[in-house]
This record gives sequence, C-alpha cells and structure tokens, in this order.
Amino acid sequence: MKKSIRVLIARLGMDAHWRGSIMVARALRDAGMEVIYLGNQLPGEIVEAAIQEDVDVVGLSTLSGNHMILAPEVVKLLNAKGAKEKMVILGGSIPPDDIPKLKGAGIGEVFGPGTPFRNIIKYITKLAS
Amino acid sequence: MTAATKLYNPDAVKNIKKEKKAWEEQTFAPHKKRSDDFHTLSAIPIQALYTPADASDLNYMQDLGLPGEGPFVRGVYPTMYRGRSWTIRQLAGFGPPEETNMRYKFLLKEGANGINGVFDYPTLRGFDSTDPMARADAGRGGVAIDTLEDMQILFDGIPIEKISTSLVTCQPICNITVQSMYFANAQLRDLALDQLAGTSQNDFLMETVVTIAPEVLPPRASFKLSCDAIEFCTKHVPRWNPVSFSGYNYRESGCTAIQEVAFVICNAIACCRELIRRGLDIDSFAPRLSFFLSAHNDFFEEIAKYRAARRIWYRMMKERFAPKDSHSLRFRFHVQTAGVALTAQQPLNNIARAAYHGMAAVLGGAQSVHIDGYDEALCTPTELSALTALRTNQILQLETGVTRTIDPLGGSYFIESLTNQLEEKILDLLEKIEHMDGIVRAVETGWIHQEISNAAYAYQQAVDSGKMPIVGLNCHRVKEEKLPMDLFEVPETLSIQEKKINKIKKKRDAAKAQRALEAIASCCDQDGNLMEVIVESVKSYVTEGEISRTLKDRYGTWTPPLF
Repeated sequence: MKKSIRVLIARLGMDAHWRGSIMVARALRDAGMEVIYLGNQLPGEIVEAAIQEDVDVVGLSTLSGNHMILAPEVVKLLNAKGAKEKMVILGGSIPPDDIPKLKGAGIGEVFGPGTPFRNIIKYITKLAS
Repeated sequence: MTAATKLYNPDAVKNIKKEKKAWEEQTFAPHKKRSDDFHTLSAIPIQALYTPADASDLNYMQDLGLPGEGPFVRGVYPTMYRGRSWTIRQLAGFGPPEETNMRYKFLLKEGANGINGVFDYPTLRGFDSTDPMARADAGRGGVAIDTLEDMQILFDGIPIEKISTSLVTCQPICNITVQSMYFANAQLRDLALDQLAGTSQNDFLMETVVTIAPEVLPPRASFKLSCDAIEFCTKHVPRWNPVSFSGYNYRESGCTAIQEVAFVICNAIACCRELIRRGLDIDSFAPRLSFFLSAHNDFFEEIAKYRAARRIWYRMMKERFAPKDSHSLRFRFHVQTAGVALTAQQPLNNIARAAYHGMAAVLGGAQSVHIDGYDEALCTPTELSALTALRTNQILQLETGVTRTIDPLGGSYFIESLTNQLEEKILDLLEKIEHMDGIVRAVETGWIHQEISNAAYAYQQAVDSGKMPIVGLNCHRVKEEKLPMDLFEVPETLSIQEKKINKIKKKRDAAKAQRALEAIASCCDQDGNLMEVIVESVKSYVTEGEISRTLKDRYGTWTPPLF
C-alpha cells in the first residue's frame, strides 16, 4: 500500500481563528492524508514537530497579519535543520502584494480566502508524490 | 385557542388553503422552475408562496404583542427607531493606543454615536506585547493594551462620562483586566463608576470554543471570570452591560443561525443561574445582559432569527426566573455584519453585501449596528473603508426610510412562518444542551466545537461545489484581478509598547505591584470576586500579562478538543 501523505497544520503565533485551519485539516483527512493538528505555535516549535512527526507538508494558517514575520522563519528553520524537502504552504487572509514575497522566501503556495478544498488537495498531492 | 384569538378567520383560512392547492396544481405547476429545492441558510425548506394559512396559528397578543411589551417580538422598545435610531457603533482598534485614540476621535467627529473598541490578539489572550508568543501580533486585529497607562492614552481627550463605550474584550481572561483598567482609568479621572455607560463582551465561549489561542483557561474558570465581571457591574456600574453573548463570533466560526441563537441563550441562562446562586436578584442584573448577533447572507432568515430570539428569551426568562421587572425579559442586541460573508475577490462588492446585511439587522430591530469595511477579508479597515462603512450605516438610517414604522415586516406570512420555525428548532437545540447538563459541560466535552465545525464544513462544501453561489468567488469571477484600493498597514507597535512596559516596570513601586499580584492569587484561592481585586491591582501598574499569568497559575490551562 502506498504510504499516505503526512501533513502538519499549525496556526502561526497568536492568531485566534481556527475555522480555516480546521476546515482544511478535515478536508485533507477526508482526502486520505494523515493530519497532525498542532494549534498555535511559534516557528521553532512548528519545525520541531514537523521533524519529529516526519511530515511531508507543513501547512500554516494565519489571519492576524503576522505572516510576513513568522512564515519565512519556518522555512528558514527547516532549511537550517536539514529538512529542506518538506513543503511549506500558507493559508489565511494574505494581501495579494505579499504573495510574491512569501514565495520568494520559500513558501510553496499561498491559499487565500475562498480557496476551494480541491485546489489545496490537488497541489499537495501533485507535489508530495 | 378560541376563534376569537385567532389571527385569521378559520373559515377564510380553510378557503385559502383550498384555493392555494388549486393554484399550485393548475397555475404554478406547469411553469419551469430553477430548482425544486429552496431552503434557508440553516436548511429550513422555503415554499414558493406563503399565505395567511402559514401564520394562522398565531395568537397575536400572546405570540407577537406590541412594541415595548411582551413577548417583544415586534421590538423591545415602545417607540423603536421613531424614538431613537439604532446606535452606530463602528468597530475600531489597531496598533498602539496612541494611534487608535486618533481613529476613535475621527469616527466620533464623523458622527459615530459610540466607541466600539477592539483589542489585539495578545491583549485578548491576556499576553503582554513583549511576550515571545506575542511578538509578531502586537497591534494586529486591535489595539495593544499592556498596562493602565495604555488605557489612559486610549481614552485621552474622549469624554467617557458622556459617550458609551463598547469594549470588545472577547475572552473573560482579557475582560477581567481590560475592563478593570477602563474602570480604574475613570476613577483616576475622578468619575464615579455609576456615571459610566457601555458594554463589554466577556463571553466564556469566546475563550473556549470560538477564538482559540494558546493557554486557554478551563471552561469553568473562564465562566467564573465572566460571572465575576457581571456581578461587579451589577453592584458598582449599573449602566454597564457587563456581558455581550457573542453569537456573532460563533457564527463567524461557522455555526448556523439556529445554533447561534441557541448557544447565546444557553450561555445567558447559565450565567443567570450562577448569579442567582451567588445571591443576586434576577432583576438586578438581567436587564443588563446583552447579546451580539451576526447579519449573514440570508436576508429573511436573519430578520426572523432576531424576532424568534426575542420571543424565546421572553418566555424562557419568565418561566424560569419569574422576574418582576419587564426589562429582564427584553432581548437587546448589537449586530455586526458578517465578516465571513465578505470576499477577498472584488472587494468593493462587499459594500453592497454589508449594506444588505445591515438592512436585515434593522428590519430585525437591532439596538446598535456595525457595518463591515469592504477590505476586511484582506486587512484591518483603512480610514476610507471605515468611513464608507460608517456612511453606509448613515444612509440606511437617514435615506431609506426603514426607521419610519416599527417592525415593518411583522405580519408578513413568510416572516411570521419563518420566525415560528426558527423558534421551534432553536428550542429543540436548547433542550438538547440542557440534557447535556448545560453549556459549560457541553463546551468541556467538545460538543459545541464539534457542532460548529460540522456546520462550517458543510458550508464550505456548499461553496466549493458551487451550490451556494458567492459572487466573485465561485461565479462572476474576474480574471487577473487587480486590487482597486490600498490596504492597511499596521503601524509599528511592539517597540512602542516595549519601551512603555520597560519604563513602567522601572518606575512603579515594585513591592506594591507584587502585593497586587498576591492579592489576585489569594482571591482565586478564596473564590472571591476577581474584578473587585483587579480594579485596584491595575492601579499599581502591573501588566495584563502578569495578571493573566497569576490566573493561569491558579486555574491551570486547558487543551480544547479541536480536531
């Protein structure tokens, strides 16, 4: 049997909205992925959990506006810990101007408000396999 | 029910039913329909046409009544908007308090009637701006408050004895300190607490179900803090609404209109029981319990929801607590238009959306209304977006004529039928939660969260499949969209707050600050009223983070069963 894709979902910093991250977590689980839901964390803890849980994908969520500070830190820390192969994606209310900057910082894809589940599932499935 | 109390002549109703059946078969059926399945956002089936037969069971005086009289379905005040229009209360807060102070003054100058202040993520969660966990979020989503000095800055030059202030403190762990700071600030300005008017949010579901962030207090502790604030205000700040049961936020998390009302009422009933257990008379606090509801996309369902909520509250309060003061039976509520219904795509469309939402709120008899800014799916509202939202509210109030008669949709066969159906479904859910041993228990087991999460998932699937059309998102999209406006940038906050905190910690009387925190700890141990102690403690310039750390040490923290 093919090993299923493992995804860590975390909310960045103090962002308090769980709706988006839980919805995506449920959709990925229903699509056959293994999902670990971490709740709110800082980049250090997120990276530690990603390595310990041996996930393929790190999904970050934030609606608070802290993404430009914290999301690139996750990528940087993963690289520093030799876990460069893990894909980092981001969801939440992200101003369009920030998206190229985030991608430049190593975020694989940014899923803004209203993204259908199928787009996220397709993206992960394509890149993680 | 006797024929004399029936809303319509039973013979006439019988005839209407017969004629409608014939109409359905002969006139209506041959034509093509877009679909066979029409229903409300919370899945109540909608007929093609409503007639008196759908509202014929109503006993007018018992079920609808007159404005300002039970069951208050037509309105909680005798004159409604003829006496005084709804309060325009536009939400505002961002960055350090110096900046938000200017936005408050701007909104007041432009005609807002009251302040509606929201706090940043760290403040809402009881963290100082300088906490490592908070470093990327200071000033985001609201204004940063760390000590009493920030509260003094926030309301500097604003006549708090004349205007009413809503403090969107959300979680009890924030409210217990931030509201205390507001009161302490008034005392330092030589104002008596009974001069102050306002509302604080202070809803334990906010802390344990809706806006989950790190280090959540256990539901029972959070519920206790909420009740402490209500008790304190009942005794010392009689014009303050010490709680605003926040169905709005439950709804933003994904629940349906039915769940929204059932959960707020359940929460309020639990508070009533606890305060009575503490020895308070129902009429000493119930008139000040207030509610906060959403205005979402389903125009008629939202209007019916507000009307059903008023009837349920009236009857439940009467049955369970037999208050003598009719003010204890009035379901008063603030509305914010649904942020979750806004789109990041073609954001100017949100002006139209929010205007419809706002109209539903006032056709439903809201006491105060916030209309969302068009950019809220993308950022904190800019000054232009906040002003446009304020003007939308003013256009509704001054130009559309909706204020001229009370409950203008009352008596609509559809609205009355929908009000009845929503009432029935809300009551069923209320009973279910009662059987689980009430709302605190239903939160502890994760049941409430699960219900909301399931509803949110179904909603998203309906949007994803295109079954629920959202203009600009799953239909009528624009290719290669270019953002037509500037977005808000949060002003530098952390370094400003850090400087102030460092200065205060050096300047304050350290022994006094220490004693203040010890007093809070011992109040926890003796199960005393924490607001009584914290209103004094904040005057020693202890930080919000220090106070919540003390509370978390005493009560522990809780991991909510989220996924």
